[in-house]
Amino acid sequence: MARNDLLSRRKFLKLAMLSGGTAAAGSLLAACGTSTPAASTAAPAQATAAPVASAAAAEATAAPVASAAATAEAAAGGLPFTVAADALDPFKLATDVEVDGVFFAGGFGDGYLKNTGTWMEQIHPGLKVKVQGIQQVGPQLQPRFVAGNPPDVVGNSGANNLDTVGLLNEGQLLDLSALMDAPSLDTPGKTFKETLIPGSQDDGVYEGKQMYLNMAYTVFGLWYSKTAFEKAGYTYPKTWAEMLTLCEDIKKGGVAPWTYQGKYPYYLREWVLPTLIYKNGGNAPLIKIDNLEASAWSDPSVVQAVEDLYALWDKGYILEGTAGMTHTEAQTAWLQGKAFFIPSGNWLENEMKTTTPADFTMVIGAIPGYADGKGDQNGVQAVGGEPFFVPSKGAHPQHGLEFLRVMLSKNSAKWFAENVSSVMPVLNGTEGANISAGMQSSLDLASTANGAIVRLNYGTWYRRLYDEGDVYLGELMTGVKKPADFIQAMQSLADEIAKDPDTKKYTRSA
Amino acid sequence: MSQRRFCGILNTAISLPKAPRGGRMNQGKRGLIVSFLAVPLLLYGVFVLVPYIAAMVFAFTKWRGLSANISFNGINNFIKLSNDSNFLNALSHNGVALIVLPVCIVGLALFFAFLFTQGIRFARFFRITFFFPQVMSTVVVAVLWSFIFHPTIGLINGTATALGISGLKGFPWLGNASTVFPAVLAVTIWQAVGFYMVMFVAGMQNIPTSYYEAAKIDGATPWVLFWQITVPLLWDTLRTAIIFLAAGAMDLFALVNVMTNGSGGPSRGADVLSTYMYQTAFTRSEFGYASAMGLVLLLIVLGISLVSMRLTARDSLEF
Repeated sequence: MARNDLLSRRKFLKLAMLSGGTAAAGSLLAACGTSTPAASTAAPAQATAAPVASAAAAEATAAPVASAAATAEAAAGGLPFTVAADALDPFKLATDVEVDGVFFAGGFGDGYLKNTGTWMEQIHPGLKVKVQGIQQVGPQLQPRFVAGNPPDVVGNSGANNLDTVGLLNEGQLLDLSALMDAPSLDTPGKTFKETLIPGSQDDGVYEGKQMYLNMAYTVFGLWYSKTAFEKAGYTYPKTWAEMLTLCEDIKKGGVAPWTYQGKYPYYLREWVLPTLIYKNGGNAPLIKIDNLEASAWSDPSVVQAVEDLYALWDKGYILEGTAGMTHTEAQTAWLQGKAFFIPSGNWLENEMKTTTPADFTMVIGAIPGYADGKGDQNGVQAVGGEPFFVPSKGAHPQHGLEFLRVMLSKNSAKWFAENVSSVMPVLNGTEGANISAGMQSSLDLASTANGAIVRLNYGTWYRRLYDEGDVYLGELMTGVKKPADFIQAMQSLADEIAKDPDTKKYTRSA
Repeated sequence: MSQRRFCGILNTAISLPKAPRGGRMNQGKRGLIVSFLAVPLLLYGVFVLVPYIAAMVFAFTKWRGLSANISFNGINNFIKLSNDSNFLNALSHNGVALIVLPVCIVGLALFFAFLFTQGIRFARFFRITFFFPQVMSTVVVAVLWSFIFHPTIGLINGTATALGISGLKGFPWLGNASTVFPAVLAVTIWQAVGFYMVMFVAGMQNIPTSYYEAAKIDGATPWVLFWQITVPLLWDTLRTAIIFLAAGAMDLFALVNVMTNGSGGPSRGADVLSTYMYQTAFTRSEFGYASAMGLVLLLIVLGISLVSMRLTARDSLEF
């Protein structure tokens, strides 16, 4: 080898080392490809109004609007339902534009979105509606929001979605009041707002204004196989104490009583713990937690709830290895009969459709409470999820409002129930549709709650409390943290956020 | 920079054979080189350097990355960073990787390279087998190993149970704060060893056998052969491997992210700087703060590269 060749090789290596090294660091922020679960993190809801007892009651209280008789069969395209004349075009839309809608297409697919686009074009002849169903909403739309040319309407869910509340704080969301007061598309004599299930849209209300809408109606609880349950002759526990007794029986039978979505502890943190707290201490402790109050987490009812949840681990009622499983792995183990109960929302049935044994018959049960609890013992977490919003800086925000009005119509909800076997938060939206047993059991559970809806917001308002809360809850459920440590960790983080001047604070009083 | 000087630098960088001075041929050659390099350099500038500089600016802002509202807040991000226990936790994991990865990977790769150049049977088969993980995408590797580490259906616990080690039944390797990072490191080592082994094998095959023969005649043991002949003559290659691995230890994004499902593991037991930075930027929308982390990481990687280059510098031997 020649001398200068060698030299050049070494020089080259040196340069390569330096540039390679820095490239590794520099490209990190641009790195992509995460794998968070597809189950969208449904935003918890908050109460602003006392929810109406039932759909029927809501029908009765609304004063009918006069112009009911005039209906207009929509133009050429042949809309499959009729629309009242005064409900055809409340936003006085220009029809020579192309509406740009970008949506997350996940477990629900994008059929209901394409459907909405088609109907919208039929209602407003001449209009073009571009519907894009995508994955990874965040990386795709973030540059458009920063550049100031966002789409006209957005469905923001799934892995790597955008921080909705962050966008809201940055003034990127349009106030939806005009839509809420517009006439409903296909329920004559009702405003759009009156056709939605009470309580399902409360978490989208900020400072009195509806800022985003939830497209899916989600009921949370404990899932089990009705077949196995009846075969063993168990009775469903009403209180947590009874639950622990039942767990002891199940364990004696050689099956693990519980499992949960191990690597995603938020299933327990967002959808089990709040109900326990509510049934034990009523709404007050949850409101204190949301408002980041100084001693919120050390409230006796919260301490009791945390200790009760911890008892599952402490007494060995959780399936071995749960902490190392993803949501699908834990759910699969549960379907195989290795564990008896699993907490989840009512997307579970659709999510596990392909692996569910024929005779399994999954149904949902309430999270048990307390015989002497202050909260309503029928309370359920039944909330909206999958947020949709209209960007304030989009080219055609009025068209965005119209898209949401058509998407959350009764006919659209019916199509959704039939084709996606899921529920939109539209009153009587599942009328005449075939619903699976599991879905039906979750709707029944929501109706027994009779308006006692459990809600909490801290995870939606403060993303850090959500992320770190998961870390702490994972530690609690593996015995790394004792209940007292968990409570202290949550409290000190809440205190830190309360003191942080860079974080916008929200409060609620009901 | 004058064109003349620039070409001078180019010349040394790519070590052109010295052409006769002032000839027209030479002028033409320089022009050719510059024109060839112009486009890549322009692309590099636009797509690499500009984002770097932008990120350095963002590091001093309160930008959330959700709108065009960017407000400067001085060195607040860096003050926040110095008190951020999650950041220090992630940094400590990178520190562990910085020690463990070069030592284990270079050690094992050297061992196997030496083994498979000694004319043992099936050497070719082993070389190919060992190199194979390098061909697979990191994400695929991470998913495969997540299954191997699976608490109930995983290969590891299954094998252990079959061998009668009952303590590992249902043990969650990736669901336990103290085992999740070792698991990630083990996969990193498994994936990288083959590549460096092939690199070292190539280097070893370049060493003239006459050196070994001469040493053997002088009565050298295999041990002496290895340390006195192989390692010194491989030094340039070894050094490159060490520096690449040191820089790689500051990354680990893909494996950690996939094996912990984006969470950094239980109790953030496997969180590294890159994953914590990603989470800060993309799930918490704190772009300014994440950029500050990026800047710190950049300085750390530069520092490590320079230090390791200094430490491993030796006169290379000619042969």
